[in-house]
Amino acid sequence: MRHDFLDRYSRLDSPIHRLPTTAKLLSTLCVISATVTLHFTHAWFFIIVAGVLLILSALTTIPWRFLFGRLMVLEPFALGIAVMALFQENGVFVFLSILTKSTLCLFTVILLSNTAPFAEILLSLKRFGVPKLLITILALMYRYLFVLIDETERLNRARSSRTFSNSPIRKWHTMASLIGQLFVRSTERAERIYAAMSARGWK
Amino acid sequence: MNPAIEIRGLQFRYPDGKEALRGISFTIADGECVGLVGPNGSGKSTLLLHLNGLLPESLPKDPNVVVYGRALNKENAAEIRRDVGLLFQDPDDQLFCPTVYEDVAFGPEQFGLDKEKVRAVVTKALETTSLLGHEHRSPHHLSSGEKRRVCLAGVLACEPRVLALDEPTSNLDPRGKRNLIQTLKSIPATKIIATHDLEMVVELCSRTIVLDQGTIIADGPTHQLLGDEKLMLAHGLEKPHILRHVHPH
Amino acid sequence: MHIPDGFLDAKTAIATGMFSITGLGTALRRAERHVQSRKIPLIGLAAAFIFVAQMLNFPVASGTSGHLLGATLAAVLLGPSAAIIVMSSVLIVQALIFADGGILALGANIFNMAIVATLCGYGIYKILQIFFRGEQGRLVAVGFASWCATVIASVFCAGELAWSGTALWGTAFPAMAGVHMLTGLGEATITMLVIAAISKTRPELLEDNDQAVPANGRSTAFVYVALIVIGLLLLVAPHASPLPDGLEQVASSLGFEHKATEAPILPSPIKDYQLPGIPSAGTATIVAGVIGALAVFALSFLFARVLARRQKSAVHPSSPPNRQ
Repeated sequence: MRHDFLDRYSRLDSPIHRLPTTAKLLSTLCVISATVTLHFTHAWFFIIVAGVLLILSALTTIPWRFLFGRLMVLEPFALGIAVMALFQENGVFVFLSILTKSTLCLFTVILLSNTAPFAEILLSLKRFGVPKLLITILALMYRYLFVLIDETERLNRARSSRTFSNSPIRKWHTMASLIGQLFVRSTERAERIYAAMSARGWK
Repeated sequence: MNPAIEIRGLQFRYPDGKEALRGISFTIADGECVGLVGPNGSGKSTLLLHLNGLLPESLPKDPNVVVYGRALNKENAAEIRRDVGLLFQDPDDQLFCPTVYEDVAFGPEQFGLDKEKVRAVVTKALETTSLLGHEHRSPHHLSSGEKRRVCLAGVLACEPRVLALDEPTSNLDPRGKRNLIQTLKSIPATKIIATHDLEMVVELCSRTIVLDQGTIIADGPTHQLLGDEKLMLAHGLEKPHILRHVHPH
Repeated sequence: MHIPDGFLDAKTAIATGMFSITGLGTALRRAERHVQSRKIPLIGLAAAFIFVAQMLNFPVASGTSGHLLGATLAAVLLGPSAAIIVMSSVLIVQALIFADGGILALGANIFNMAIVATLCGYGIYKILQIFFRGEQGRLVAVGFASWCATVIASVFCAGELAWSGTALWGTAFPAMAGVHMLTGLGEATITMLVIAAISKTRPELLEDNDQAVPANGRSTAFVYVALIVIGLLLLVAPHASPLPDGLEQVASSLGFEHKATEAPILPSPIKDYQLPGIPSAGTATIVAGVIGALAVFALSFLFARVLARRQKSAVHPSSPPNRQ
């Protein structure tokens, strides 16, 4: 089974995809910093950012449906927190401000993650001086995320094929023991990975 | 010339008390290709791990694994790992980097080669395994056959003199299996292959060792051993189809 | 609890970013110096494990579902320093690949969920372990610690939102703490069930957890405690002050008063937000928190008893480690 859904579009071929990852990472940071710090009264800035993001998305050839779909999945979380802003003086203004800002930032990151493969983002981070140990752990984590998702699905299927009750209590028990089993398997796999790493000269 | 691998009276017990190897001895000459067969749990994988000094509990004891004249101990284990390339059973365990290139380059980088040399070695390994052009793919986008070949490339990039392969054809479709066998045939290194795939043993190995319950049951020419129906059945194996018309003796 | 970008102002993002760099940096240095290289793959795999565990949905009433945060689970399974690295890695990947949690807000998110939650969870777990022993004791400690960790992290989150001027403390504190007092119940239940499941199949995995990154050195522990104390002083304490307008006081003394003086462009829908009958929502929340904590502790105790008894009655399979 493949889990392309996590990074399906990061390897398309478009002018944006061909840009160096470091450049994309840095410009993402710049856009987000400016968006977050600039006061909402400078409406022109936010309109320009939105326009630029839309043009960039058109250039990436990623389906609009996918991009906005991702945005719609994430927006409720932002909305949930933003509602709290309403209960203060000037609340509607603050509410609109943070909702606009967070939507723009969300869209920027969605563009980044779908135009730059994570492996390359890691290489850029390494160049920026992020500790090597953290890079190693992030790389291992990203790599085995997919393996673990597969494993979870297999375990889950094996269980549901033998589960005949639908009670929530039962379900919680099964899910929890599934998580437990997943941890046990992860420790076992970690041992084998360590063996494989040492076999190729790891310290 | 020293033999590639010499094993004398190797014993091993897992910490939980399970006895995996009970006094194993054999010698493999340089350039030989040996099949290691036996039922599940016979100790094949454990034996391969020993060739690489990967079971730390076993290291300090008397030296009973000798690779090209050097007895394996704690101090030289890292060095000997360069000589013995190990292909693990589950490619997901061995393919631990985010891209194909990084994974194949992992070994050479650990050995301290400079960038240019690493690139050369990796390119050569990818060429041998016909994976050129796949450098930037992520492991989770590869098929099982491709994964296996990347693992093999990662091992070859370390330029080992001995290849120890654990179930190299498990989980492969017939085409993947054929590709892998062809690749293995083209590699001149000494090979020891632990497997249930007896057809492959017949095709690749001139000699076979039969292992059961941690002891060597038989050691001899492949055609003779695998053609011996009684021996095969007694140890959970089966006479391969290719040998159906060949009679022992 | 993942704060998106746009909700925190620069000062909050920078301050929490610095806390996170200090905390994560300390954990990484600790791991670099003391961890056996054998355990590095385990930390990576544990991060993937927590990530996947967070993806699993647990059905709650009427079609809604909850999921695990896993900070206390990670801390109990791997020890505090490894857990900080694991939880930070999870948050970094979530922010960069899934846009779940902001990039500039990453500092705050790591601080709340990877540092405060893991350390509080671990600390409370260890302290309770002194008083409650055995299988049941471990489960009580795990359950109560997970609940507290979730609630405390959410209070820090509220503090950050208030400090940024995104929401009033009087709104953010009861809302965040209230919601997480409820979701914390789920967190506690799942963590207890998972630990019970692991202790049934591979009890030894729960024994040597500190070996992933060996028990904390004094200097590491000092940094961790200092981080939480500074965080409390900066993010939570100003609001908890008895003065009615604690935030304004602090804001003006720090020179951030311009925020409050800006003329309202749109009228606020609710003025002087307050719950009727109770002096302030903040006080009400604290009262509810204390009562909640006692109730959760009692519940954990009962639930642990049931789980531990089931454990005992089940045949203990001595499953050998899975090796080929």
